[in-house]
Amino acid sequence: MSTPTHLTRAISVIAHVDHGKTTLSDRLLEYTGTVAQRDMVEQVLDQLDLERERGITIKAQAVRMLYKADDGNTYQINLIDTPGHVDFSYEVSRALAACDGAILVVDASQGIEAQTLANVHQALDHHLKIVPVVNKIDLPQADPELVREEIEKVIGLPAESVIFASARQGIGTKEILEAVVREVPPPTGDPNAALQALIFDAKFDAYRGVVTYIRVLEGTLLPGMRIQMMQTGKSFEVDEVGIFRPERTPVEDLSAGEVGYLIANIRNVRDSRVGDTVTDEARPASAPLPGYRHVTPMVFAGLFPTDTEQYQQLKDALEKLQLNDAALVYEPETSAALGFGFRCGFLGLLHMEIVQERLEREFNLTLLGTAPTVEYRVKLRNGEEIPVDNPDHLPDPAEIEAISEPMVIATIVVPSTYVGNMMELSQERRGQFLNMQYEPGDRVVITYRMPLAEIIHDYYDQLKSRSKGYASLDYEVVGFEEANLVKLDVLVAGSPVDALSMIVDRAKAQQQGRRLAEKLKTLIPRQLYEVPIQAAIGGKIVARETVPAMRKDVTAKCYGGDVTRKRKLLEKQKEGKKRLKRVGNVEIPQEAFMAVLSLD
Amino acid sequence: MDRIHSLYLHIPFCTWVCKYCDFNAYAVLEGLIPPYVGALRHEIDIAGGELPIGPLETVFIGGGTPSLLTATQVRQVMERVRAIGLASSAEVTLEANPSNITGQAVEGWLAAGINRLSIGVQSLQPDALRFLERLHSGTDAIAAIRTARTGGFANVSADLLYGVPGVGLDTWLDTLQSVLDEGVQHLSAYELTVESGTRLGQEVRTGLVQMPDADDQLEQYWAAAARLEAAGYAHYEISNWAQPGYACRHNLAAWNYQPYLGVGAGAHSMFRRADGSTERLWNVKGPHVYIKQASEGGHAVDGNETLSAERARGEAAMIGVRLLEGTIAAREFPGQRQQLVGAGLLMESDGHVRLTRRGVELANQVGAAFLVEAAATQQGKG
Repeated sequence: MSTPTHLTRAISVIAHVDHGKTTLSDRLLEYTGTVAQRDMVEQVLDQLDLERERGITIKAQAVRMLYKADDGNTYQINLIDTPGHVDFSYEVSRALAACDGAILVVDASQGIEAQTLANVHQALDHHLKIVPVVNKIDLPQADPELVREEIEKVIGLPAESVIFASARQGIGTKEILEAVVREVPPPTGDPNAALQALIFDAKFDAYRGVVTYIRVLEGTLLPGMRIQMMQTGKSFEVDEVGIFRPERTPVEDLSAGEVGYLIANIRNVRDSRVGDTVTDEARPASAPLPGYRHVTPMVFAGLFPTDTEQYQQLKDALEKLQLNDAALVYEPETSAALGFGFRCGFLGLLHMEIVQERLEREFNLTLLGTAPTVEYRVKLRNGEEIPVDNPDHLPDPAEIEAISEPMVIATIVVPSTYVGNMMELSQERRGQFLNMQYEPGDRVVITYRMPLAEIIHDYYDQLKSRSKGYASLDYEVVGFEEANLVKLDVLVAGSPVDALSMIVDRAKAQQQGRRLAEKLKTLIPRQLYEVPIQAAIGGKIVARETVPAMRKDVTAKCYGGDVTRKRKLLEKQKEGKKRLKRVGNVEIPQEAFMAVLSLD
Repeated sequence: MDRIHSLYLHIPFCTWVCKYCDFNAYAVLEGLIPPYVGALRHEIDIAGGELPIGPLETVFIGGGTPSLLTATQVRQVMERVRAIGLASSAEVTLEANPSNITGQAVEGWLAAGINRLSIGVQSLQPDALRFLERLHSGTDAIAAIRTARTGGFANVSADLLYGVPGVGLDTWLDTLQSVLDEGVQHLSAYELTVESGTRLGQEVRTGLVQMPDADDQLEQYWAAAARLEAAGYAHYEISNWAQPGYACRHNLAAWNYQPYLGVGAGAHSMFRRADGSTERLWNVKGPHVYIKQASEGGHAVDGNETLSAERARGEAAMIGVRLLEGTIAAREFPGQRQQLVGAGLLMESDGHVRLTRRGVELANQVGAAFLVEAAATQQGKG
């Protein structure tokens, strides 16, 4: 079982979404006999149902493979699968920090995209050896030669090092494994040094508590050892250490260079933070590993049960979910319109969608989510500075000295034809142009500095639709900046609906108000009464629309044989209403609360 | 189980299935009528022996086109109905297509014990009849009403359709007036409804046919209601009007949530249990299968459902509220009742609630509200 250090490798697979990362990982597991082909559920590494459905990896996975190379040696290859979405870029960076090399997968028909570049930069930051692979070469629209050239010119990896593969058909698998053992350096750590193990993921197991995913960089980790988390300062006694093959398998120890897990009766993933360093309490390392960041949520939204009686269930569900999701934060919130719920903080929009979907699916709740917002910093005239993550909580304008909002550097990669569209969109979204660079393969890399609030408002969808799907996006939060912002309120049937308030750029507020009212008119179904919709800025109405009253809903015939059918029809209508939230006398659908996201 | 005093018999045969029809009806199967009549007789016999049924106060032979049966066949069926007990004052209705109404047929039906004829006039206007794929003319229809009346039917009803594409308000009112001029005792006016599984449904979906909008439909509806009331017909259900004493007793029983037995292909039965629950059963739809099953074992049940007492109350209110004089079934739902009164859809008087004019236009909203409250009450208990 134990492999000499010089025959150990730790790698990750990095790729833009949909370039075939997971399929390739599956092939590697299959080829090395880690998973028998007959046991291969497609995409072994994506374990949540949701991940499988969405074709994305949310949490990092790790597995140990044994590979008998052409040189006659049997290598231990630790494969760490990274999350594939910008919301989880910090998790990606920690997973990469646990590796010595990376397989870079680029789609043979799509070429290099924004996340490809972001991933490569991260991998290079961690001094990883990159094994470039052009995947999906079997597709009719594939142009592997062009993509190979692109890899050389854009990323600077020699064209001859590029491997052509089709993960779907198993082409190139062996070549990739050979390149990994040949190119990726073995670990350099010393098994006798003070323990330093990097946490790159953690999962909550109902029976064992938190399972912490680690790579031991220095020293040796043993069951029974008293360990300390160097960032949080908490200490625990190790019950079990083990490896993934791919199911959890206990081992006697994990020493420098090895990837595996530890179980130490940790009750909450918060105590096992991604990026933290595990050390021996008796003989601690002199310093933690670099790069730790306390993950903070970027996007905030209210989650309310449509059935007010589900409040307690929602509370319990959030508590359970948080055990396994250190990035999720929440606190109780009361909305005049929506009742009792929770203000939740997420890493990004995808994270938000996933959390809402898991709450509904796994805990059988029906939820109403309000439009996501960012966290603003509001400087008051009295000198105080307060964070505001709910537009409705914005203080009275008279008390406000200044409002700052989070900014990002956005990187867009797009074919040159669409550069105009991309710039137009980014200008509309208050973007400040930073740079533009032409790359081979008719690819342009554009960078903008822009408010995060603009990104979460439909920016990505617009980017896609204005580039016929070709543009890709990556962004990084870079701090706060003052802006001229104002609160836009919405009144439905004369009453303000707090959950529909939004904070917008003053220059665009009136126009946004008109669009929002128009949009709500199409989204709020006809009711028994006429429903006026108004948008207001500081008490001044800037737009008004009216949803006309329902005209007719009556079945002509209802005789003995029609009753069952009619009842079912009406019950179905009623079922559809579950997604509606009654605000005063008006039933407002979920989509209306999201309307503020797409006002273009 | 509550005693059953109503019987529905379904005759699923038609010479032609009109493009808007989504009833259980089949063309070109008339050859099956003789064995079908045999199966029907057997099903009636068996049910009569098994269920607490009779004396029957109402019998309704509907379709399809029951007038495709010969007078002899109608008599054969009625013999078996009589065998399970028929009250001397019973209302016995036969649905008839104008094309089948001859002096001889009328004589035979009367002799068989039919005392109410419901005639499918639908329209008198040539373009509308062509659009609706009716095989009779307007003149045929008027002649049919006269034949029925002079032949001895003292209780005649006519079915009409409004909201037919291409038929304006005036033409519609002319049609209505001409039918009323014939002295029918009862009139049903139905909005032409687009059902998804029909050919009309497809024509509307593909844009070939454009239906009148809700305002036009309601204009025709309320204009007809005014005309009927002026002519002495009471508006007693959303789509039904009658001279005093001529409301259809069979349908009234169903709207008042009384149990009934349905026999024949696709027929539904409704039974009421002592604990307040309701059981609904329905027969297989296809005539071939029906004939086989009913002839062999006397049963052709395809499915059933049981509604708890709570849900049954919701259903009773949903149906009952269609009666314009109001229903007491809605008294079980004070919450919704109050809201619906507030919304101007219901009004209350001495324990009854009834639909307002606006409530008639939105009757499904009212019905759904009762179902919601019934379901909520049940959940609260469960």
